[in-house]
Amino acid sequence: MTLPAVDKREQPEHEHGSPSRAFRSKSAAGFIAGLALVALFALVRVLAPSTPENFGLPNAARDFATLSISVVVESLPFVFLGIVLSIAVQVWLPEGMLLRRLPRSPVPRRLVLSVLGMLLPVCECGNVPLARGLVVKGLTVAESMTFLFAAPILNPVTIVTTAQAFGWDNGILVSRVLGGFFIANLVGWIYSRHPRPQDLLTARFQETCNIADHHDGAAGRVRRSVQMFSQETRAMMPALFIGAGMAGLIQVAVSREVLVALGSNPVWSVLALMLLAFVVAICSNVDAFFILSFGATFMPGGIVAFLVFGPMIDVKMLALMRTTFTAKTLLQLSLLVALCAAVLGLAVNYGH
Amino acid sequence: MVIRRLVGRWQGVVLSLIGLTATIWLGLTGQLALYIHPRYFVFTVITVIMAVIAGVLALAAFAFAPTAQDGHGHEHGDEPGSRWGWLWPVGSVLTIVAAVVALLILPPSTLTTATVAQRDLNGSASALTLKAPALPGKGDYSAFTVRDWASLLRSGAGQDFFADKTATVTGFISADKTDPNVFFVTRFVVTCCAVDAQPIGVPVYHPGWQNEFKTDSWVTVTSSFRANPNAASREAIVLIPDSIKPTTQPAQPYVY
Repeated sequence: MTLPAVDKREQPEHEHGSPSRAFRSKSAAGFIAGLALVALFALVRVLAPSTPENFGLPNAARDFATLSISVVVESLPFVFLGIVLSIAVQVWLPEGMLLRRLPRSPVPRRLVLSVLGMLLPVCECGNVPLARGLVVKGLTVAESMTFLFAAPILNPVTIVTTAQAFGWDNGILVSRVLGGFFIANLVGWIYSRHPRPQDLLTARFQETCNIADHHDGAAGRVRRSVQMFSQETRAMMPALFIGAGMAGLIQVAVSREVLVALGSNPVWSVLALMLLAFVVAICSNVDAFFILSFGATFMPGGIVAFLVFGPMIDVKMLALMRTTFTAKTLLQLSLLVALCAAVLGLAVNYGH
Repeated sequence: MVIRRLVGRWQGVVLSLIGLTATIWLGLTGQLALYIHPRYFVFTVITVIMAVIAGVLALAAFAFAPTAQDGHGHEHGDEPGSRWGWLWPVGSVLTIVAAVVALLILPPSTLTTATVAQRDLNGSASALTLKAPALPGKGDYSAFTVRDWASLLRSGAGQDFFADKTATVTGFISADKTDPNVFFVTRFVVTCCAVDAQPIGVPVYHPGWQNEFKTDSWVTVTSSFRANPNAASREAIVLIPDSIKPTTQPAQPYVY
């Protein structure tokens, strides 16, 4: 979709006569500058010394780098996927095509939004740019939260991997899917009652919403897609790198043995695993396999709490969501979701 | 202020290009497996598609640098009215520098014993679940890996079972926290990416190993299993090798 579109970019500019030539030489220069930058990066990468010993870094620092890079490498394609989908929704879908088909009354509208994730197999990091795009298109803030929290759990890849990891054991799969669905809708309902939903958003993102109201032809769209890409990466990339750095740092600093030791107590297993979910910031598509490796140590309620809380709130997600929501809102959201996930986990533990 | 505007406009695209360059380079040099499970197929497909699309868009962003008349309103790099506004461009530059150092300059590396210490060695259940067909019918245990032996040891098979068996295992050395005479031949088991790596290991009894080897160095040990001469040790059954061969880090340092 995007590839052929790029080549068409200059066509409408011909109408303007001479400015188009200046524009064209300017974009050629820009393009060459971009290529030069990529070449520079590739050169640095290839020429950099290849043995870790050259740097004499202590083990902890090396592992910090390895873990952070691992988070970046794992999330990067999904963040791009989210941005591309967000651009598609904002620029290429006919006006209102997605949102017009949703039910009008708020509760069923949020119910439908929370299963929208079924169509978009993006994990949580990709959902942030997509949710931003939907808000720009006219989704309310509360509805965007419902989508943001439900989509990574009610997502075909996540459901399949969870089923592969746990099957129907202990109702882990069912509790995860229904629990995630319920919490997402509860959060949406609570925030739909907020008197001034605009206040939940950062000033910077409100600005993005305001300037997004262009209407232009197909050629302008290509241009706008590219602009939007640079705008969204500007918001997402620093957040991703900072979030990954924090995830790496905490993992090097916090001993996992302590968390694992708490695993067999019905109350502590829930809290310890929620903390673990917050810290490891692993993608919802594969977190079931990760926690399966602790399966024998932890009680099922703890695992459910991990699988529900992790996709919604973790260090990386907070950094990504901070691009959109105010710090106060995120604090409230974290507490609310943590409370719900804890209640769900305890219910599973004591219900068996 | 020029720097602030430049950084504000190009930070995202530049960080994207750094990430893409690093990922593609890791993929081409076969080192992606240091960070990601190599059979994580969905990931690979999405990565390739997204690398192409994002690469095209990022380069197009350079070609479409906003001109004077349509640059309006886009350039508020900092939170309006903030006293700490100057921190924003500084932080942005630092993020880019950190990304260049981490992704483009630092050599890719495996996890080390620092992480073994953080995560319970042999503490993970599924990393040590032996697949049934892995057990050979009669006697041929030569293909057994660190993971297989660690699983067998954990499964509680008795000394009789191990009495006539010889293991050849390769891994890096990590110290036993409780017994100074024992080290572990260690590997990480990875299910998705390095973040979820679980250390596993086979105990080797070799008093004074600290004088011969450094932790984190890779070795191949061939030996039969014996009862640990130190009865108080947590590891009842250990390898007691005659010789330990130093080796280099294998191409696939993790086990899956």
